Amino acid sequence: MKKKITYEYSSRGIQQNVLRYARSQNVPENWAKQIAERVSKATDAWIADKDTVTEEDLRRIIYNEIKILDPDLAFAYKNHDKII
Amino acid sequence: MSDLLCIATIILVGIVQASLQLSLGGLILLYHASMGHHRRRKTRFLARHYIIGAAVISFLMVCTIGFIISTIFNGALRTEYLVICVGIFVASALIMWLFYYRRGKSTELWLPRSFTRFIQRRAKATNDNIEAFSLGLLSSFAEMPLSIALYFVVANCILNLSAQYQIAAVLGYTLLSVVPLLILKLRVKSGKNVVEVQQWRLRNKAFARIISGSGFLVLAAFVTVYWIF
Repeated sequence: MKKKITYEYSSRGIQQNVLRYARSQNVPENWAKQIAERVSKATDAWIADKDTVTEEDLRRIIYNEIKILDPDLAFAYKNHDKII
Repeated sequence: MSDLLCIATIILVGIVQASLQLSLGGLILLYHASMGHHRRRKTRFLARHYIIGAAVISFLMVCTIGFIISTIFNGALRTEYLVICVGIFVASALIMWLFYYRRGKSTELWLPRSFTRFIQRRAKATNDNIEAFSLGLLSSFAEMPLSIALYFVVANCILNLSAQYQIAAVLGYTLLSVVPLLILKLRVKSGKNVVEVQQWRLRNKAFARIISGSGFLVLAAFVTVYWIF
């Protein structure tokens, strides 16, 4: 059976990750920072009452939040591993 | 064979080669990964070296196979080898139509998942020009099962050309094979982002599949009519 890898949740890590995606899509820097901040707040709120979550769930929450703010960026976030 | 027929064949093969998607996907991945990490200038350099890498593998493959044909096959492929190439083109057309793209709302290709993950990892880890160059080489090389017969036909055509056109033909073919990459680079340079390109690829996936498959089939018919009969 495949061994499951666990990570500690990091709000800052989420912010950095979203910021990286936003920069890769030429999103203006200030707007990119705002998006990253709002997304990390949303994930903080969602994760607050949970002990363990899957990466997939977390990605879904992040995607839903980005989609409200910037649909193009949400597309990039969702499809980054489906290019080739 | 007339020079004109050889040039027409080279152009047709170049277009078919350009319709293959792995190099383009690799470059989009590189843009995705690099633009989030580096300054735009650095990303431009990485993209340039990636394209040079893809072009170099085309150039070297044509030259190597040209050398093989001129030494082992005495300067021209015999009819039976051309028939084999035509068979491979027909098979490639079927592969394009049926298997090339994975099902679902993505532009994922037929490649084994482990290999795709390797390319994704390399694209993310690419920090300098040599790595980008190697990634270009790798992504072009990975499409060899579909492009090897193309190289044989194009090298055979180039050897049939008059000597003064041969180097220009190799360079022209190399350039033609990386045209999609150059277009992507120009679009990004002109301010478009890679998401728009990827969305276009996704929307036109069926169209791209039909064009690539039909390209292989047209090439098979062309080689059969003009080179075999």
